[in-house]
Amino acid sequence: MEYQKPIPLKTQDNSPYWDGADRHELILQKCNCCHQYSHPPGPSCAKCGSSELSWESQGSDINGKVYSYIVSYRPFLPGFQDDLPLVIAIVELDMLPQVKLIGNILHCSPEEIEMGMPVKMVWKDIMDDRSIPQWIQV
Amino acid sequence: MESIKNRYAIVGVGESERSKNSGTTPLHLALDAARAALNDAGLKAKDIDGFMSYSENDSCTSHQLATYLGVRPKYVKDILGGGSSTEMLIADAVGLIESGQLNTVLIYRSMNGRSGVRMGGGGWNVNMLQTAIEGGSFIIPYGAGSPAQWFGLFATRHMHETGLTQEHLGHVCLAFYEHAQRNPKAYFHGKPLTMDEYLKTPYLSYPFKKHDFCLESDEANAIIVTSAERAEGCKSRPVYIMGLSARQCVSHAHYWNDLTEVAADYVAPEVYKMAGVKPEDIDVASIYDCYSWVVLRQLEAYGFAPRGEVGNFVAEGNLRIGGKLPSNTAGGMLSEGYTHGMNNVLEIVRQVRHEYKGTDRQVENCEIGICTGWAGPDMAGAMILRN
Ligand SMILES: [Zn+2]
Ligand SMILES: [Zn+2]
Repeated sequence: MEYQKPIPLKTQDNSPYWDGADRHELILQKCNCCHQYSHPPGPSCAKCGSSELSWESQGSDINGKVYSYIVSYRPFLPGFQDDLPLVIAIVELDMLPQVKLIGNILHCSPEEIEMGMPVKMVWKDIMDDRSIPQWIQV
Repeated sequence: MESIKNRYAIVGVGESERSKNSGTTPLHLALDAARAALNDAGLKAKDIDGFMSYSENDSCTSHQLATYLGVRPKYVKDILGGGSSTEMLIADAVGLIESGQLNTVLIYRSMNGRSGVRMGGGGWNVNMLQTAIEGGSFIIPYGAGSPAQWFGLFATRHMHETGLTQEHLGHVCLAFYEHAQRNPKAYFHGKPLTMDEYLKTPYLSYPFKKHDFCLESDEANAIIVTSAERAEGCKSRPVYIMGLSARQCVSHAHYWNDLTEVAADYVAPEVYKMAGVKPEDIDVASIYDCYSWVVLRQLEAYGFAPRGEVGNFVAEGNLRIGGKLPSNTAGGMLSEGYTHGMNNVLEIVRQVRHEYKGTDRQVENCEIGICTGWAGPDMAGAMILRN
């Protein structure tokens, strides 16, 4: 069945991240000047303005904790109508707590979700050549 | 530049009809609001030499409005913007008047916010959203396409850290809905809300129920800003600007890294310093209320209750008329109408003027009011006004 949800758009500024995701690998942008991570990635460092940027692989085995979450009971975007209630969370990475990613906690009911809950990144193949990182409870 | 304290005033406010289906264009609505504000000030359209507006590409231009008022102004300006734009444009107007370029500026917001382009979503092109929103491709594919969801992510974390509860969100809604019952022009006039009903209402997007969302309406609002000297010649009772701080970004540029820091935390000390007052000197407030929670976070930022005690502050009924900080006394965007904050500016002006004197809508002895804008964690604006 055709994937009905929005597919991440690759752009000049973010393609290493999404190309990495397609390979099931987390690639983060890092500033060579202030040494902070930039997520989401951009045309230059949003913390110091430097355009000296590099991309750093974090591998495929990523763990984190729920930093914040909401539960959507309405599909605010097309394609999510069969996924309700939908848990959308901000996940703080265990190895890089300064980096937070937004994703869905899959197979997680509103009763189960809580702040600080440990989660693990899983790679969801959404098309032949496209994947996105998602999260499941550990 | 010297301090602008008390040297500029809002001399006119006006609005169009409010509805869910205006059946007319934003230009017609803007003309109605502008004429009402001119009438309120006792000014002629030709007295206005600057026209400014903000929109999300859902309005008419300042040039069009001036044209159909029969004015050829010196200056027109239309910016893209939502919350806190009113305060920012007032700051611009003050700067242009201060430098001698303009005398009197009309600022408006006009939108078919319900029958036209709806902020609440629906009908958006998802690929357009991914590119239009900073970092959009990192949220849209996960179903996070509504401001309710983005603000919700801030709200739940803040609630977790400070002990705010669902009831505390409900107290904000209850206070504003109660005010709407005294305002025949409020959209939810005749629709009172009880805590029981609030708590029983299902979530649309936890932690928000429908009452926690601002409504969507078709309407226009206008305000007129001029110097204190010119204000004396106006028909209305001038409301003087004591302090004004426009947008300021937070120290981090991306939304999701630090939810403890919002632009209002930076704007608050500036606006109090310029005005020379403290939170306890404020008699009445308009707090930007796109969602109930943003009111709670702003009460914390503007020093009305310390972090961790904001919930008790609202539970004690302090946002109600008769409380310590009567807020959004026309019902706010949660229950009166929605023009990206400008309806709240109109109301604070009317309260500080004592326009409702003799009715149960008037906040007693209110001499100083605060109006806050909020466009998200990264932008804020606020002004302090006096009689
Ligand atoms: Zn940097
Ligand atoms: Zn004519």
